[in-house]
Amino acid sequence: MLAALAQRVRQRAGRWAHRRQGDDPNPVALRRRRVYILPSALGIGYGFLVFAMLLGSMNYANSMGFALTFLLVGLGLVAMHHCHRNLEGAELRFVGAPPVFVGELAVFTMALVNPHGGQRYELFLSRGEYDSETTDLAPGATARLSLAIPTTERGVLKLPRFSATSRYPGNLFRCWSWLHMPATCLVYPRPAPAGRSLPFTSEDEGDGHRSGRGDSSFTGLRSFVPGDSTGRVAWKAYARTEELLVKQFSGTADSVRWLDWGSLPELDTEARLSQLTRWCLDLNRAGHSFGLRLPNAVVNIGAGSGHLHACLKALALFDDGADR
Amino acid sequence: MTAPTASPEQHLARLLWTAGVLILATLPHFQHIPLWVIVLLGVCIVWRLAAAEWGWPLPRTWWRAALAFLAFSAVFVTYRTINGLEAGSALLIVMVALKFLETRHRRDQLVLMMIAYFLVFAGLLATQGLLSMLYLISVVWAATVGFLQLSRRGPLLDARQTGRLAGRLLLQALPIMVALFLLFPRLPGPLWSIPSSGTSGRTGLDSEMSPGDITELGLSDAVAFRVDFAGRPPPASQLYWRGPVLGAFNGRTWSNSGPQYRPQIQDTLQHAGDATRYRVMLEPTGRRWLVALDMPRLWSDDRDIYMDGRYQLMRSRRRGAVRSRIDYEVVSHTEFRALDDLPLKMREGYLQLPEGSNPRTRALARGWRTADPEPTAIIANALNYFRSNEFYYTLTPPPLDANPADEFVFETREGFCEHFASAFTVMMRAAGIPARVVTGYQGGELNPLGEYFIIRQSDAHAWSEVWLAGEGWVRIDPTGAVAPERIAAGLSRAMRADEPVPGRTLARLPWLRNAYLLWDAANTYWNDWVLGYGPGLQRTLMQRMGFQNPGWQTLLALAAAVTALLLIALTAYLTWTFGRRTRPDKAQRLYLTFCRRLARLQLIRSRHEAPRAFADRASRARPDLAATIGAITEEYLQLRYEPGAGPDKLSDLGRLIRDFRPDPR
Repeated sequence: MLAALAQRVRQRAGRWAHRRQGDDPNPVALRRRRVYILPSALGIGYGFLVFAMLLGSMNYANSMGFALTFLLVGLGLVAMHHCHRNLEGAELRFVGAPPVFVGELAVFTMALVNPHGGQRYELFLSRGEYDSETTDLAPGATARLSLAIPTTERGVLKLPRFSATSRYPGNLFRCWSWLHMPATCLVYPRPAPAGRSLPFTSEDEGDGHRSGRGDSSFTGLRSFVPGDSTGRVAWKAYARTEELLVKQFSGTADSVRWLDWGSLPELDTEARLSQLTRWCLDLNRAGHSFGLRLPNAVVNIGAGSGHLHACLKALALFDDGADR
Repeated sequence: MTAPTASPEQHLARLLWTAGVLILATLPHFQHIPLWVIVLLGVCIVWRLAAAEWGWPLPRTWWRAALAFLAFSAVFVTYRTINGLEAGSALLIVMVALKFLETRHRRDQLVLMMIAYFLVFAGLLATQGLLSMLYLISVVWAATVGFLQLSRRGPLLDARQTGRLAGRLLLQALPIMVALFLLFPRLPGPLWSIPSSGTSGRTGLDSEMSPGDITELGLSDAVAFRVDFAGRPPPASQLYWRGPVLGAFNGRTWSNSGPQYRPQIQDTLQHAGDATRYRVMLEPTGRRWLVALDMPRLWSDDRDIYMDGRYQLMRSRRRGAVRSRIDYEVVSHTEFRALDDLPLKMREGYLQLPEGSNPRTRALARGWRTADPEPTAIIANALNYFRSNEFYYTLTPPPLDANPADEFVFETREGFCEHFASAFTVMMRAAGIPARVVTGYQGGELNPLGEYFIIRQSDAHAWSEVWLAGEGWVRIDPTGAVAPERIAAGLSRAMRADEPVPGRTLARLPWLRNAYLLWDAANTYWNDWVLGYGPGLQRTLMQRMGFQNPGWQTLLALAAAVTALLLIALTAYLTWTFGRRTRPDKAQRLYLTFCRRLARLQLIRSRHEAPRAFADRASRARPDLAATIGAITEEYLQLRYEPGAGPDKLSDLGRLIRDFRPDPR
């Protein structure tokens, strides 16, 4: 209950900070105006301890007690300034986030730079319960930190609000800066469990041989889509019209190597995408060439990791117009 | 917070840091906590470390709860309370021990560091000498190092580096401490009543005196109080420091007979001779009585100090017992008459002797009275009796039994001042003269370095007062009859050479004695100016700074303002030392100069452009400069990236760039 309240307060404060700061550029410097600081739970305990000592010193009129109390007051205040100083002025750059499948953690890699002449200690990034590694930064040094974000749906995952945090020295204070960086990670659909067999059968083995014939039954020209094989471009037509056109063919030999949206009519959109993802992965692992046909996008036949990525990206970004 | 995911060695290192700081923080408590608490702490520390190092099993939660219950009960049984300073410290240490046993997370260890600060605080309530400041600083420093180390998520830092870091934090905190120490409003009086800590461990005069009590004090070197005379101090034989006055006697023990406040008592005093003005710095006694030179006329802190019916200065009930060092000023006259009219009922009290006790002494005194009922003659007889018989003044008297006066007067005849005073007072009462025992201190040692007197527990003394009609209370010191040197020159002169008088060895080694006196002088200044810094000194300081009688609100505002200023200064300092961007090295600076010169030709290097790429572009734009640009770029790259490129290369680059002054076309 209390935790939920704290969570809500944190979210509101974060939204307020977003309105105040706007979106961040990449790289971003943690300037003073956007670095916040509050005592940690331990720091509040420390405050109570010092207050108890103050009362004790007053009661016993004990000068050494006062001395110790005020030394600790000073220490707390100095620690607060050091904590702030430790974070302020650091620079953060988004390095990259390799694509992941739904359900995996999207790992955003950031470079944290200390552009100043002083040593920084114990800096880390955090988002919710997920904290990055902790790093010390020598003057002028750069450290790579990775922030893991859980993924729940396919598409482009925009790095949500996260914070760069310092608790040095002594965890008495927590100093942080909220960040809204233009960092994205492509999230592929979750591959369906293995089991459903491919939409073409074993008689399609050696289809490469037959494809020559299949390809020959020319049906027409259509516009070039990125990903189309250059072998199918109608170069003669290009020379004539300066428009890239692709030759289209029909025939069984062609259709069997295509993973087609239409071959899974009994499934809903997401399940179809999952299944297609699974097949893409399987075919790629087996070293086959294949193509992908979606209602609004086509990835021509190809092979290799680049091709796989193109297919998975098309699946990840598929949008049939329905609300998701 | 999550458990430290550190390697086993790191885990052990963290525990060792924690244990080290805790031991340092509990050290000063060892002298007054029971042995079993120390043993418990040791066992818990060893057990926990062994668990980390060799995988010993740790007690389960249930066992730990049982252990905690047992230990807390034991503290209660030992002290009969869990309130009060000593019981509180013992309890705290027990808690530390048990907490350490179950420490697993980073937070546990940090909480222990905070308790370490509190242990230091509790220790300071008991002792506060000059050395304790050094101790305070070193433990706070150690605990701060502990804080820095134990709060780390990553691997621990190098110990020396952390030590320096903690030192820097503390140095920066020091000005704030001084400012708050001076400016934070000091209010007189306790906020709530302080739990009494009993008499245990406290040396000093008590409100009771049995044979042997003061003898025991005679062996103690501890400082009872210090006195700073405003003018010339009176001669040593006049230095009778009046302490508890004991009027009730049970045959063996003299005690303070109940409250005796009499409002007009001061009016019965007649002072004569020169006034002596002085300041007393009294060490804690745990009692309400205060010492003053016989006989006080005026004193500071009128509201908090009063004179009771026995001419004894007392601290008001409101302020309670003297639990920390206090100081007060008194004006006394060593020549005085105490013309107490002594109402009949009180007179009877001062004649009271328990039935059947000390019969021989009483018979002796009654004999004197029959011979000559004149009180002065009886007193002379008694003193003469001590003088003419073989009485010895000694620090090692034989023990006395049920009728101590009889045994002392007729058998052992060896005693310390309380034996003489007690026997004499018994004689006077038996002879019908109202009499009482006065305890206090006599004499004192001048510290030439600080021009003040040190009065030790070994200067404790007991004498008698007799009441004579028309004269009032008259001081009679029977010890002076036997050992006049005691009164004139102090204890060590009055004792035989083989007596265990404290400070005698010291007296034989002048340099050691001087070192000691220097140390005591330093401590006294410390006591006066640091420990004694309270409402009074604060008011004086404020007046010097131009604040007439500032209220606590003013002081608080001032303290806050000064702290804020100090923090602004700290921010500026941190920005100055830390905030500067990393300076480019010399080669880089030269190269940047080169780039600036090219920039004048509209050849601007963009941030992403590597030196060679830029050189190529520049050379294409200005083929006439291509050779120089290429040479400079190569020199620079060698300096930056080739190992072993020395200072001669740097000067080459410098020369090339100095001469590189291209004309715009």
